[in-house]
Amino acid sequence: MSEIVGANSLVKYYGNFKALDDVNFSINAGAITGLIGPNGAGKTTTLKALLGLCEFEGELLVVGRDPRIDRHKLMEDVCFIADVGILPKWMKVSQTLNYVEAVHPKFDRKKAEKFLSGTQIPNDKKVKALSKGMVAQLHLALVMAIDVKLLVLDEPTLGLDIIYRKEFYDRLLNEYYDGDCTVIISTHQVEEIEALLTQLIFINNGKIVLDTQMDNLSEQFVEVIVDGNKIEEAKQLSPIYSREVIGKKIFIYEGQTREKLAHLGEIHTPGVSDLFVAIMKQNGYKEEASGDE
Amino acid sequence: MNNRDLRAFLILLKREMWESKNLFIAAPVVLTILLVVAIFWVIPQLPEGALAEAISQLGAATEGVGALNLAPFLMTVATPYMVILYICTLIYLVNALYQDRKDSSILFWQSMPVSNLYTVLSKVVTVCFVAPLFVVAAISVLFLFVIITATVLGLSYDVELASLGQLFLASVYSLLLVYMTAVLAALWLFPTAGWFLLFSAFAKNLPFLWAIGAFVLLLLLEDIIFGTQFLGNWLESRTSNYNYIIFEASDFFQRLFSYDMLFGIMLGAILITGAVYMRRFAE
Repeated sequence: MSEIVGANSLVKYYGNFKALDDVNFSINAGAITGLIGPNGAGKTTTLKALLGLCEFEGELLVVGRDPRIDRHKLMEDVCFIADVGILPKWMKVSQTLNYVEAVHPKFDRKKAEKFLSGTQIPNDKKVKALSKGMVAQLHLALVMAIDVKLLVLDEPTLGLDIIYRKEFYDRLLNEYYDGDCTVIISTHQVEEIEALLTQLIFINNGKIVLDTQMDNLSEQFVEVIVDGNKIEEAKQLSPIYSREVIGKKIFIYEGQTREKLAHLGEIHTPGVSDLFVAIMKQNGYKEEASGDE
Repeated sequence: MNNRDLRAFLILLKREMWESKNLFIAAPVVLTILLVVAIFWVIPQLPEGALAEAISQLGAATEGVGALNLAPFLMTVATPYMVILYICTLIYLVNALYQDRKDSSILFWQSMPVSNLYTVLSKVVTVCFVAPLFVVAAISVLFLFVIITATVLGLSYDVELASLGQLFLASVYSLLLVYMTAVLAALWLFPTAGWFLLFSAFAKNLPFLWAIGAFVLLLLLEDIIFGTQFLGNWLESRTSNYNYIIFEASDFFQRLFSYDMLFGIMLGAILITGAVYMRRFAE
């Protein structure tokens, strides 16, 4: 499989703050990669680097190009939705279509119009007159009509209500994703994208703390709902994380075989959000450092 | 520039007009409406004799004057339009590379395959060549109105103004001169435009104050360090309108290819290159 993104020793400072600290990862064509991390972990900085929106040290190839050089050429093959509501407020819906049609060689206007006809968005209204959810729908419609190799989504559903959020990802998966393009999604609402992902990257304090294929997750990590009398034994096997749910102890193990753990209790593959918490705590994540954006 | 580039550039110019239609389209249109209303308001107020007097004087003044010589007089009508254009252009330049950074929509623009060079050039072309077009269009409506009114009044007082054909020719020629003058003025003030664009691309907030403040600082530094007032004198020399107001179309190239003009354009180009560079990273 060909490599779409290859990052090698990325380092980025904001003043004295090290936003990216030797970041390495690789994303193959066709992947749907989740870039997950707490606020301020370096998600947006990583994506900005990929998109040629910030200066950094290290080697980075995106669709075969260095994003620091000729960003506009890179953008023929890469699209992004950064946060909700970056569409210009003064623009009319029809003007956004006219604009993208004229500047983007890979934009299919009919496709965008088809997507829009399935929404309540009026063509002659300005973006500022639309609800937050509608703006996200409009942006998605524009982006879905562009045939690119890489789509980057940075917290694309932040601040939307749950109906829009669900619809956003449903459309993305059903109407856009065809296995040819590659998608990178950054979010801290892990549960929503868990089912979509083929690759999982956790980032904390500017460092990659986990990079794995979803297919390998069940071999790499095991979650055990431990029977009451086996808790001490379970602790001996050095779990990376433990929590208690309605009186039941749940442990997560890394690098232990299922056979070895089977007798302790009920065995599962951990959910991405539990794994996230486990890995973050393991890497010294302090909760008070978090805060909603 | 191939076809695709040209198409992209034209939509960038359109984009500027969509965004700034109040500054470049509505402002001259409103001025025309105000002037027409003012004319209608003033005429009935004039004492009977005064209007006839004015009409006959006008008739005498324009009698036998050819369209080419009449045109410069008609150009005076453009004065309030040029004042409005300057103010609007200044507001536009200060915000051109600032507003989208402030409301984050720069991320949308940067997600499209459009180079920063094209983006900045589209703003420069808007100021130098597109905005004057709308001024000329607004003035032409006023001319049409004035010609019709003056002719009707002249007929009613039995005064023969310069023939309709002459007046029409003179108006068209004066519109051409107004456009050329506006273009020359924009090019003459190119360093100023570049300076404001640079700070529009650079300032985290208050780009206008940054631009003014930085210039004042340069003036002070020059005075303190070298004890000279070169920058101040140079700025003053830029205010002379001789360098861009023309009364004959053939003067256009003579003004354009003057040493001072080309030097200013070069200086502006350097500042604009700086703005393009500042635009590279949306941080």
